[in-house]
Amino acid sequence: MVRKVAATELAPTTYGWHVQADGLQVRAGRRMAVDGLDLRLGLGVHGLLGPNGAGKTTLIRALATVLRPAGGTLTLLGEQLGARPDLRAFRRRLGYLPQDFGFYPRFTVREFVEYMAWLKEMPPRDVPGAVQRTIEQVGLADRADDRMKTLSGGMLRRAGIAQAIVNDPDLLLLDEPTVGLDPTQRLEFRTLLRELGEQSCVLVSTHLVEDVAAACTNVVLVDEGRMVYQGTPAEVAAAGGADDVGDNPIERGYTALLGRHRAVAR
Amino acid sequence: MSRTTERHAEDDVLAAYVAGAAIPLDAEWALEAHLENCARCRARLAVTPPLAEFLATVWTRISAAATGAPAPVRSRLLRALRTWAPPSQLLWLLFGVLVTAAAVGIDVLDATGHAPSLVLLVAPVAPLLGVAAAWTRGVDPMAELAVASPRAGLQLVLRRTVAVLVVMIPALAAAGVVTDVSLAVCLVPCLAFTAGTLALGTVVGVARAAVVLGVLWVVAVIVPSLATTELSALLAPAGLPFWGLAVAAAGAVTVLRSRVFTTLPSTNLP
Amino acid sequence: MDDERLLRRVAKGDRRAFEEFYRRTSPWLAVRLRRRCADEQLAAEVLQDTYLAVWRGAGAFASTAGGSAAGWLWTVAARRLVDAFRREGRTPTPTEEVMEAAGPGADETMLASTVAGDVGDALATLAPELRQVLQALVLDGLSVKETSALLGIPEGTVKTRARRARLAMREAMT
Repeated sequence: MVRKVAATELAPTTYGWHVQADGLQVRAGRRMAVDGLDLRLGLGVHGLLGPNGAGKTTLIRALATVLRPAGGTLTLLGEQLGARPDLRAFRRRLGYLPQDFGFYPRFTVREFVEYMAWLKEMPPRDVPGAVQRTIEQVGLADRADDRMKTLSGGMLRRAGIAQAIVNDPDLLLLDEPTVGLDPTQRLEFRTLLRELGEQSCVLVSTHLVEDVAAACTNVVLVDEGRMVYQGTPAEVAAAGGADDVGDNPIERGYTALLGRHRAVAR
Repeated sequence: MSRTTERHAEDDVLAAYVAGAAIPLDAEWALEAHLENCARCRARLAVTPPLAEFLATVWTRISAAATGAPAPVRSRLLRALRTWAPPSQLLWLLFGVLVTAAAVGIDVLDATGHAPSLVLLVAPVAPLLGVAAAWTRGVDPMAELAVASPRAGLQLVLRRTVAVLVVMIPALAAAGVVTDVSLAVCLVPCLAFTAGTLALGTVVGVARAAVVLGVLWVVAVIVPSLATTELSALLAPAGLPFWGLAVAAAGAVTVLRSRVFTTLPSTNLP
Repeated sequence: MDDERLLRRVAKGDRRAFEEFYRRTSPWLAVRLRRRCADEQLAAEVLQDTYLAVWRGAGAFASTAGGSAAGWLWTVAARRLVDAFRREGRTPTPTEEVMEAAGPGADETMLASTVAGDVGDALATLAPELRQVLQALVLDGLSVKETSALLGIPEGTVKTRARRARLAMREAMT
């Protein structure tokens, strides 16, 4: 289909990092859940690790522009989000899967992803093809026309992943995407993540350390709203020793780094 | 030297295209653009034996894999409807209509004819259920996903509000006609409260705003009116210009502050 | 019966309509895909995936606004091709080599179906790598990201070449 290509689409990419945060502060309720976080994320799959209450969900919500920062600067895909940001254009290039996302029970999987495609302002003629593709990519092709309420937890989460990637986003934010997935599904998901990471910046928040080790090129460790460590999975593993708590090298490294950070903070 | 585009492709260009041979760039461009829209020329593509074999092989694989039925054809109307009011909102909208119907019933059955019109008393708050339902996280399961989307903000607010009004205004108008009350007094305060809930909602959250305004109205107008069996002065026709002003003001506030509808209300977060 | 009506029949589960739709559109689609993908296996896979997607999703086409069935078919196929390239790794397209071989001395009769005057001349003067990018973006309707995956070049390069192509076209037409 012959289409017009807007000049803005061809404008050179002026940003080095997809996500750039400096001293980011984000409030959640009355707490300052993210408190002075510096972050640089580029292409690839980044794993976001941290104990409960570390501010992971709040950080992801801030990156999804669903929460406004209380302080610091946040630049996403080259757009600095100041006082009155123009979010529509940016959000079309965003994919977001919240930790608890809901759905209308009577919607079928296809209708759910189509509705999200509409909310994401995708061009209408691209929608059916894109919806079918992403449903296949998450392995729900045979359940595509079943109502969401008939799906298991793992399938629902996969439908959630499908809506997040339907618009081929440049920045993909996934909050606990592997909850409820069985080991085979998690393996398939990691392959999908790696594919996506080649052309987008993907941030995956998870408490499953093995997922991080297998699929991520970069690990971001946070605690109490601050950055603890950012590096490759190998570097995290190297930080741990035999007497650190953990079942595998990454877990041990995680515990070690966390312990060191907390010791310094006190 | 090059002539203007012919209506259909030339045979030799088509043959070269099928064979995978080189074609001058401008010819190839025109041809591909044309073929996408011209079934006749597509039919004229000569299917060479290797191509036919290729297509046949692929077809056997396709027909083997194409089990089951295709996706059911969804009514375009239903899909369009969902973009105006999500399913979770429709239910509450229905409550609003039922409340109106109940008011009509009570008014009609009122033998004395002295009691103030319940329809007029209820009209301003009947749509609040539908308005609040569209923006309450507990009610709308897809609230966070919707708020995070590009379409969030003024567009979605307007759509969902229009959906409420499209249902409530005819219902209230019909109620007004049946119970023989001034349509303007029936409808304008209703609009003011709808806009007012949204406007106040940009500050304290739509659900809370709906509750506040609803309770205020009940306490300040409905109860006194029923107690004194005299319609509150606020619903006198003389007050209509002020109600109109309220609609405009609340509408303006909502539009100016519509950015609020693109974020999660931080007060609701754990 | 036109292709659009045929697709609506497919949406209702009519397998004969599906076979007819395949018969009518697959030669064109296969040729267009092969001109972008040297690997016959890959092209076969993409063709198969596309029509399976059509079988499953024809109803969705029927529900959305108009446009030609073939146009819609191409949007599905082009994305499948991009996905296949993303998964398997890039393969060079055959047209580049073939183009070099043909050279500028094209047969006069071939010029009959051309883009009108200036635009046609401008297109003809474009360097092949610029033409490729322009074709992917404008003719095939792909995004910058998808073009980058299809041609196996970085997104920045896609943008640079597209801008150069635009500039070259504008200059050639003045």
